[in-house]
Amino acid sequence: MKIKTLEEILKKKSSKTEFAILTNLENGDSEIYLPGTSPKGEFSKYAGEIENFFKSKKNGVIENSEIFIETYIKPIKVIVVGAVHIAQYLVDFAKSLNFEISIIDPRGYFASEQRFPDIKVINKWPKEAFEEIETNSSTALIALTHDPKIDDPALQYALKNKFYYIGALGSKKTHENRCQRLSEAGFTNDQISSIHGPIGIKLGGKSAPEIALSIIAQLVSQTYKK
Amino acid sequence: MKNSFDEKILDEAQDWINANQKVVLATVIQTWGSSPRQVGSRMIVNEKGDFSGSVSGGCVESAVVSECLSLIKDNKPCKKIEFKVSNESAWEVGLACGGEIAVYIEQIH
Repeated sequence: MKIKTLEEILKKKSSKTEFAILTNLENGDSEIYLPGTSPKGEFSKYAGEIENFFKSKKNGVIENSEIFIETYIKPIKVIVVGAVHIAQYLVDFAKSLNFEISIIDPRGYFASEQRFPDIKVINKWPKEAFEEIETNSSTALIALTHDPKIDDPALQYALKNKFYYIGALGSKKTHENRCQRLSEAGFTNDQISSIHGPIGIKLGGKSAPEIALSIIAQLVSQTYKK
Repeated sequence: MKNSFDEKILDEAQDWINANQKVVLATVIQTWGSSPRQVGSRMIVNEKGDFSGSVSGGCVESAVVSECLSLIKDNKPCKKIEFKVSNESAWEVGLACGGEIAVYIEQIH
């Protein structure tokens, strides 16, 4: 690798621009690839494969070739509704797992910046808050307030915008009522059953960090199924 | 999910280069079976044999350092090395996990 290439990589890394490093393992040539552009020189033969690696967020050697590709992909956006105790632990886990958390909570006394340093906390009702966040089908939603006034509008937004993971905290009974309300609001059974509720995988724990762990474990497993 | 943006190994490589050291970058490019570090894991080695980062759970690091030093000594640009279960012929190191990995080493010049 040339020093110039290394410098360019570091520049792209610090500005959090998505890119990939292409390396020809035979002769050591390397180059930076930006999504949506055409790879140059020898690498151009593998344009399709390179694009696929990027789309599937994979690193590796392209089959039947000596081309290695390493992708730099932005963290997955996770929106947490409810600046509650569990959210504090979710934030801790998310940091090392490449999830970028934003928190929505209209209740001012919960969503204080001191409790969530370095995290985007939006002190508004979900409907207004979503105007400030760019979302798509690669976004996840974790609803933690189990208060229909706050959770329901967020769940509806996530269903309409086809978030890849939607989870809602609450007992089986709370979740049944929630499903009932969503059904009355016109959502289909398929849509409603895509919500993970009660949220999380079964670990047996009841403490805030244990619940956060069960949620994040479910999120990771669903991210790999995506 | 791997967070490549937050990894500091390439930043450290540049610090070493700025300090006039010769740097070889080692990258895990392929894995088979179980192996402790995923594709894209990195390690850097300088001409004195100092290293930072990792390409396995400590199983093959010393062998990778030796290979990197040879690369500098022979002034070659790059090399691909494969490690298999108890790869006795080469370096007498192997992966206790039973996996196999391919590591690509290259000089930063």
